Amino acid sequence: MAKILASALSAVLLLALPLKSQTTKVFPYDYRIEELENGLKVVSIPLSNPNIISYYTIVRSGSRNEIEPGKSGFAHFFEHMMFKGTKQVPKTAYDEFLTRLGAGTNGYTTDDFTCYFVVFAGRENLEKVVKTEADRFINLYYTEDVIKTEASVIEGEYYSSVSNPDRRLVELLRDTAFEKHSYKHTTLGFLKDIQDLPNQYDYSLLYKKRFYSPDNSILLVAGDFDHAKLMAYVKKYYGSWEKSNYALQTPVEPPQIQPKRSHYDWPTKTLPKLVIGFHGPAYSDETIDKAALDLLAETSFSPSSPLYQRLVIQEQKCFSLGASFGDTRDPYLLMFNADLKNDDDLSYVESEILKELEKAKNEPAPAQKLAEIKSNMKYSMANALGTTDGIAGTLAFYINLAADPATLNKLFNLYEKVTPRDIQDAAKKYFKAANSTVVTLTGGKEK
Amino acid sequence: MRGSMKTYFTGVLLIGIPILLAACGAKIDPNKLTSELLPLDGNPLVSFRVLVKVGSANDPSGKEGLCRLTWSLLAGGGSKSITIRQITEKFYPMAASLSLSMDKELAVFEGTVHKDNLEGYYAIIKDMLLDPGFRPDDFNRIKTNQLNFVEKTLINNMDETFGKEILNLMLYEDHPYGHHEAGTAESVAGLTLDDVNAFYREHFVQGNIVLGLAGGYPADFAAKVAADFGKLPQTFTPRLSLPPAHMPKGLEFVIAEKPTPATAISMGFPIALTKADEDFFALWIAGSHFGEHRQHVSLLFQKIREERGQNYGDYAYIDHFIQGRDKFPAPNHVRQQQYFSIWIRPLANSNRHFVIRQALRELKKLVDDGLSEERFQLVRTYLLNYTKLYAQTIGERLGWQMDSVYYGYPDFLAEAQNVLPKLTRADVNRAIKKYLNFENVCVAVITQDAEGLRNDLVSNAPSPIKYANPNMPREVLDEDTVIQEYPLSVKADKARIALAAEFFQKRGVPAK
Repeated sequence: MAKILASALSAVLLLALPLKSQTTKVFPYDYRIEELENGLKVVSIPLSNPNIISYYTIVRSGSRNEIEPGKSGFAHFFEHMMFKGTKQVPKTAYDEFLTRLGAGTNGYTTDDFTCYFVVFAGRENLEKVVKTEADRFINLYYTEDVIKTEASVIEGEYYSSVSNPDRRLVELLRDTAFEKHSYKHTTLGFLKDIQDLPNQYDYSLLYKKRFYSPDNSILLVAGDFDHAKLMAYVKKYYGSWEKSNYALQTPVEPPQIQPKRSHYDWPTKTLPKLVIGFHGPAYSDETIDKAALDLLAETSFSPSSPLYQRLVIQEQKCFSLGASFGDTRDPYLLMFNADLKNDDDLSYVESEILKELEKAKNEPAPAQKLAEIKSNMKYSMANALGTTDGIAGTLAFYINLAADPATLNKLFNLYEKVTPRDIQDAAKKYFKAANSTVVTLTGGKEK
Repeated sequence: MRGSMKTYFTGVLLIGIPILLAACGAKIDPNKLTSELLPLDGNPLVSFRVLVKVGSANDPSGKEGLCRLTWSLLAGGGSKSITIRQITEKFYPMAASLSLSMDKELAVFEGTVHKDNLEGYYAIIKDMLLDPGFRPDDFNRIKTNQLNFVEKTLINNMDETFGKEILNLMLYEDHPYGHHEAGTAESVAGLTLDDVNAFYREHFVQGNIVLGLAGGYPADFAAKVAADFGKLPQTFTPRLSLPPAHMPKGLEFVIAEKPTPATAISMGFPIALTKADEDFFALWIAGSHFGEHRQHVSLLFQKIREERGQNYGDYAYIDHFIQGRDKFPAPNHVRQQQYFSIWIRPLANSNRHFVIRQALRELKKLVDDGLSEERFQLVRTYLLNYTKLYAQTIGERLGWQMDSVYYGYPDFLAEAQNVLPKLTRADVNRAIKKYLNFENVCVAVITQDAEGLRNDLVSNAPSPIKYANPNMPREVLDEDTVIQEYPLSVKADKARIALAAEFFQKRGVPAK
């Protein structure tokens, strides 16, 4: 028997109202959350948009869960294995099912979660999708031979971006900045671990048992369907999925006590790159730090900021400049990126970014600027939520963090409460030299 | 090309009048702008697509990259009245922007804004497009970025795109399509602000423009926009009369040499077919079967990635493909001339010869055997359903509406729903025989030890591969013994080698 956990009632077309009103919710849709006895949460968002249904399965396991040595990249690898079928619906039959459905389907892995989606037309197809998806999550089956072949696909995926210096830059930043926490590696993982994947069959079974369980997963369904029918199908097909009860303990990252620095020599010509990372807070829709830092990123580093205008538009030292403060379950990095035009300007741009952070500690952000940022965030979100799949795709990320779409409205309410003082306090707390890691990348001189 | 049903505006004419005229078969004045409207009452967003029927193929000889530089200055520079800094500051609270997407024969300026901000947004982009500032600072910044792209980024940081662009060089040598939209290092270096001004004046004119508007805009808004753009000069750029593309004679290779652990491969040949042709739908089924972009249905994906784990994916296209939202095709990349292509994602250098053989052998099987009835039925069902997902955002709906007009359909996606069910397996296999071949193919490769690959290709050396899985299925290994010795007729003088770093410095494939 499912229990209703929450229900937010609001008109489906509320988004059509002007967003200038302070009271408008950034996520205006009616939704329900129910939970099966085995712990599987279902977030259901029936919409009036005709015909299309977005069916997302969010497994709260990403590269963050790769806490054991030699297992980096495993969450992403397992995402690939999830397309290998079951005894009842083997891979070829699963592929044929999706083909006949004409679905837009795929999976992706992040630091914190792995997401599988099937976007399809026709409410009459919903039961078939629920049944087939439930089957693969409960009954996934593959042999050791299959895993060995798929392992080389991952190496191929690594090769797909081998010519991209941005990937190398972020790999080096994380590896340098983190000592203990699994955010030390990217979702793709270390190459040596990727190359050992063919030998990881037994671990893959353990991994599935630990993390691919109803108490670690959330279904998110948005679009043209009837909620009662959805829940009837979900109970019917997911009811036998067994709980895991596994409790992950991610290593606690010790405080960084001195500045760190790394450099990468790219073998051919390329534009120089710079990234500066500071350890920051985890996502929260309740405490003010992360919200204040999000506003700081916009105040000081968005294209409308004075620093961006100076370095990119006026002085033309940088091709691009930006700040990226990801929302993560554990404390991650507050990152400042710059793509430059000349190697000789690296120190100058680094010093200008650091000066901007000092300024953020000492000078309150103008009230008008904060109002503009809040406006930007609301309209960006309204645009992202403009289609059925836009709603599901955007929410998948927040649901991973908080298991409830309400977190979006809570977060935006928090943004409303942030004061210039909060931003200064957060800047002082996190932007300390001892907490910084600088990574640079420059190209070779040879042709 | 089918008959067009375009609407057009003159000055402040109400939108109903030209629609009526078009419906009555009135001739369209090529000197005047046209428009595509998709009003959606109650929708909170408004999407603009200002399409200009002038692309990189219109670059004057020796000034390759001029079109992109000019259009980039419109999208990324200030207007006469305000600077790019002021524009950025005004756009920011609206979360709005004006982006540029361009191709060989057209460019599209796109923007989506909440209707709360429609007036403010439009006032800015109107000036950006109709009254550009063309300031020296903006010019220098955008020109430098474009130069850096062709000199460094394209050849060093994005091998998959680089491979596709080498294929473009091979298919369109001495052809207006035959240079990258960004030009060459040599040509871009010589571009001046005067060039940009002249190109704008010549080509940003009424007859070249299709105004696209979708969403919840007010009833009188479209007429207002049309009146503003109706002040542009009443003239047009004649449609390019294109020479034939290069049809390869046999297998022709260009191998770009660079230090890399992975080999990127693209291959293809021109085909005399576009979405305007009735045969398109039949060949579409064949293309989807053989290599639907980033979907499991792709046969190449199944054979090369899923069965053998060679790389991340393998796909094929019956016309020029640019990925839009998610994995769906982006609209507004139409061309008069099209090409068939295969995209092999990067794989270990040790397996490159095997996979080139495998892809060409699969192409031969496609041409020789066509699709089975079972596969035909499955893929047709797939396309009928998958294409229902193409146009989800209002911008996508508008874009497909504009492409429909270009190709002469009331609604191309609706036409697919109408035509596909009527096709037979014989129609598809006939289209394959008519348009595809496996013997005359251009192959672009980026790899290390290019000489070694050329020697292997020319000598038809066996190319066995090794697997991490010691228990590969018998049928795969049996097929491998055939693939590894599958003969390719590659002549030494048809396998050109060039240093990767020398591409895009000048027009064409560099000589080693």
